[in-house]
Amino acid sequence: MSVIPHLINGELVTENGRAVDVFNPSTGQAIHKLPLATRETIQHAIDAAKAAFPAWRNTPPAKRAQVMFRFKQLLEQNEARISQLISAEHGKTLEDAAGELKRGIENVEFACAAPEILKGEYSRNVGPNIDAWSDFQPLGVVAGITPFNFPAMVPLWMYPLAIVCGNCFILKPSERDPSSTLLIAQLLIEAGLP
Amino acid sequence: MVHGDKTAVDALIEAPEVKALSFVGSTPIAEYIYAEGTKRGKRVQALGGAKNHAVLMPDADLDNAVSALMGAAYGSCGERCMAISVAVCVGDQVADALVAKLVPQIKALKIGAGTSCGLDMGPLVTGQARDKVSGYVDDGVAAGATLVVDGRGLSIPGNEEGFFLGGCLFDNVTPEMRIYKEEIFGPVLCVVRVNSLEEAMKLINDHEYGNGTCIFTRDGEAARLFCDEIEVGMVGVNVPLPVPVAYHSFGGWKRSLFGDLHAYGPDGVRFYTRRKAITQRWPQRASHEASQFAFPSL
Repeated sequence: MSVIPHLINGELVTENGRAVDVFNPSTGQAIHKLPLATRETIQHAIDAAKAAFPAWRNTPPAKRAQVMFRFKQLLEQNEARISQLISAEHGKTLEDAAGELKRGIENVEFACAAPEILKGEYSRNVGPNIDAWSDFQPLGVVAGITPFNFPAMVPLWMYPLAIVCGNCFILKPSERDPSSTLLIAQLLIEAGLP
Repeated sequence: MVHGDKTAVDALIEAPEVKALSFVGSTPIAEYIYAEGTKRGKRVQALGGAKNHAVLMPDADLDNAVSALMGAAYGSCGERCMAISVAVCVGDQVADALVAKLVPQIKALKIGAGTSCGLDMGPLVTGQARDKVSGYVDDGVAAGATLVVDGRGLSIPGNEEGFFLGGCLFDNVTPEMRIYKEEIFGPVLCVVRVNSLEEAMKLINDHEYGNGTCIFTRDGEAARLFCDEIEVGMVGVNVPLPVPVAYHSFGGWKRSLFGDLHAYGPDGVRFYTRRKAITQRWPQRASHEASQFAFPSL
């Protein structure tokens, strides 16, 4: 039985602590082992995210969006592989799995508009020689915790947008069906996310 | 990306470096994460459970409504937070006709290993989930609801150890029953009979959850009233699963969402950024101005 690793700072990380089985619900068989992160592992991820933040928040939104354009293409190219992984661990039909992925990709497309959605608001001459504006700045390190029922779509609701807004994101997916979620995260690295 | 259980979740909640948490899952955990996260000054959007009602008006296009309900109730084995789990029929005539049309379709559901092609439904996610849903069906029978289609004990040849459950249909469900009050998260549809749209809307508005809902009708006045007055975050008119597109935002009302902003789209942008308001002055060099002690205004 293979072990599904964490993905921290671009590296696959395993640990020898507590673990649970991941099942194929169609056969009732355990097919993977999944490590459960310790507090130290979580802190390691937080430290990596925090270290990445200053450079990422200063990366132009248009550059951040370019990563999402490539990510969208990779998701489309890998639809069959991703659907297979969803179906093997969640149990939903392949057509249903492909449907959730398409709805997830919609959110990546929205994130491609980063330069537009982060333009802010500007008012000239609010007083004598005074201009005023609102910036929409990233928060820093943010996290998402996602359910088993949409292992591809719900994470895609969260991190493409959080990331193009300039944040660093930590995802803790469901422990029932994390393989598609991991593959998608690897595609984001392939798309050029630092 | 890190895998884990409560230890991992608590570590993320407690870490001062983590400024915001987005969560989608069950209501008790959503409420816990919201309470613990906001107590520490974090932004939290925590999406929880649902009980999504479809209202069927006497003038609804029943055949299309049945097709819509089949997909919305049994697609993905009902394991969707936007799944329709209650059909509220306005009048016995609609209810009788709906049940008569649903029964053969539920019995004809093509169920098997999710990874095979051309199926309607796969298994539930775990044996525990299957037993829990099966327990709800037992509970509904004990509470006096009419079990019209029983999917318990389904065995799929070649996949006997899979976590399968067939589609189930209850009629004559009433609001005090557990199968009505709680989210079952399985392939179980409950038919509730009412006498008017107002009664249907009161039922929905009194429910603990307010994630999604829909109305099937050809009456624009009824649809408009429903959209205006229903206490639910996402509403469909002749659309069974009104999951907003990515350039709108997703979120329920009442105990389906803890937080102020919905997920993704414009609300997502607000959630993942914070506003900084900057006021900047470049006075002309020659000018000199005296101090002002009154609050500055134009």
